[in-house]
Amino acid sequence: METLGFLMDGFAVALTPTNLMYALIGAFVGTLIGALPGLGPANGVAILIPLAFSLALPVETALILLTSVYAGAMYGGRISSILLNIPGDEPAMMTCLDGYPMAQQGKAAEALAISAFASFMGGLLGTIGLIFLAPILARFALTFGPAEYFALFILAFATLGGITGKNTTKTIIAALIGLMISTVGMDIATGTQRYTFNQLKLFEGIDFILAIVGLFAISELLLFIEHRVKGPQKSIVVGKLNLTFKQLVALIPTTLRGGTLGFIAGVLPGAGASLGSFISYTLEKKAVSDDSQFGHGDARGVAAPEAGNNGASSGALVPMLTLGVPGSGTTAVLLAMLISLNITPGPLMFTQHADVVWGVIAALLIGNFLLLILNIPMIGIFVKLLSVPTHYLLPIVTMVAFVGIYSISHSAFDLKFMVVFGIAGYLLRKLDIPLVPIILGMLLGPEMEKNLSHAMVISDGNWMIFWQSPLAISIWSLAAAGLILPMIFGRRIRSKMQKANTTGEKLITD
Amino acid sequence: MKLNGDRLLGLFLFVLALAYGWGARQWPEPFGSHEAVGPDTFPVILAIAMAIASLALMLKPEPNNEWPTGTTLLEIGYAVIALFAYAMLMEPLGFIISTFFAVAFLAWRMGASPKPAAAIALGCGVGVFLLFNNLLDLPLPLGLLEIS
Repeated sequence: METLGFLMDGFAVALTPTNLMYALIGAFVGTLIGALPGLGPANGVAILIPLAFSLALPVETALILLTSVYAGAMYGGRISSILLNIPGDEPAMMTCLDGYPMAQQGKAAEALAISAFASFMGGLLGTIGLIFLAPILARFALTFGPAEYFALFILAFATLGGITGKNTTKTIIAALIGLMISTVGMDIATGTQRYTFNQLKLFEGIDFILAIVGLFAISELLLFIEHRVKGPQKSIVVGKLNLTFKQLVALIPTTLRGGTLGFIAGVLPGAGASLGSFISYTLEKKAVSDDSQFGHGDARGVAAPEAGNNGASSGALVPMLTLGVPGSGTTAVLLAMLISLNITPGPLMFTQHADVVWGVIAALLIGNFLLLILNIPMIGIFVKLLSVPTHYLLPIVTMVAFVGIYSISHSAFDLKFMVVFGIAGYLLRKLDIPLVPIILGMLLGPEMEKNLSHAMVISDGNWMIFWQSPLAISIWSLAAAGLILPMIFGRRIRSKMQKANTTGEKLITD
Repeated sequence: MKLNGDRLLGLFLFVLALAYGWGARQWPEPFGSHEAVGPDTFPVILAIAMAIASLALMLKPEPNNEWPTGTTLLEIGYAVIALFAYAMLMEPLGFIISTFFAVAFLAWRMGASPKPAAAIALGCGVGVFLLFNNLLDLPLPLGLLEIS
């Protein structure tokens, strides 16, 4: 069992006091980010990246911090779903269905505890799946040549809109905008200046961290000003916890089913955590013998989607770590972190940076236990923080974004540039252009171009190389399916999800 | 014909694609290189794809979202001005003072009462400054406060 050996090494990395401390901080901050409505996980991780960067943390520590934030955000999303009927993030939408009715029946504490337990089970199951699947996939990915990689990047863009994607044209446009931005700067191969307009600032290209923070955080502020969403003003009462061990044990089969389904949805390109929790909920409803209480505060209706979305969040790390191709907004932001730390994700990472990969995986396991421990006794604190009004929260988040960007470069120019990206992000969101493909385009652009030219060198200028190997052809067909299927089935699944949940507030993305 | 956001965006992106592709063709061929892939190959592919996609968007636009008007638009304008001012004044005024003004102004415009907004903004500015300068060792500019 070589995997187990690596995992043990991983634990050695993750259990050092510094890393453990950062995992704890990350888990706490992550839960907070997930809980606060209007601050999605992608947004939350994005504003923390510059901080992790300027603190000059070691690679594995920085990654442990951010993956803990990621895992924590998935836990936190449920809190406002249950107490306020407002999902903290999109995947937590399904938790509203039975969580809120439970809270109304005075069983808020039970719902929170059950969902924490289900999140834990889902996260644990997903991480175990990750441990077994990732090395296999990484070994397989070693057989990929540049032509296959090029096709794989196309696949990533094609499926990013997801099966529920609304407008394929807009996803493609968004990806192209990102790719175009990525070509600005000095060409690595030839030294040609591209689109720099002789501006020294543009020679090194556009910093994607700055772009991500601007697109997400600043645009959120502007959107809020437009909509003036009133923050939760009513005080929330969480009663005493009244839950027996037996009740939890009875929920184990539900969480196992939900976690497994979620993990599969997370690994598959284009599915993601939102679909994971949706499938877990609907199939759980079909699987149980008596579903009359679903939608009226059934404990299983809380456990299934929570296990699903946490399983999915671990599953989504599989393609990101093994192929360097993220499947969701938050994993795209994590990829940005990796690239700026000079680590190229992909199969080689498992051999070249084994300590980092396994350290992060071990940290995820530890993080799950930390989150369970954090979430049950400290739920009161999170509930209190929920009542921080948005009109204080968003200016403070904006300030954190400013400080983060400033502390990397000490440049007022960068800050202005970030605001420009924020305004662009606001306009694009108003036009329903998704932001995540833009980010992904900026991140993957250089790699894509590199693989394109490598492939052409190998084939001596013959474009047919992209369609020659069976593997490449199958990836291209998958990509085509990823673009065409949503046009056929997308509307049906979307309307089903909407029917199931009328209160779902549209947030950035998972 | 009513103005449609998607059509406008499509038109803008189409022009951008043309300019972007034209720009790529202007670069001199790299010295001594006759590779199949030059610095312009990838941009030209992107330009063609963008031209097609933007035409598709213009042909099949979605109905308009509601755009802000009147006071809402003005509020967004204020916020944008405040953000730019914050970016430009951070160094000359220093972190604490600029943060105080930026956070207090934004919170106030977003619906907080002026007094608590000012108090929270001051707390934020001083707190984050101390956290960064003293605890994390990441120096932030002091600006005007430096003299005293």
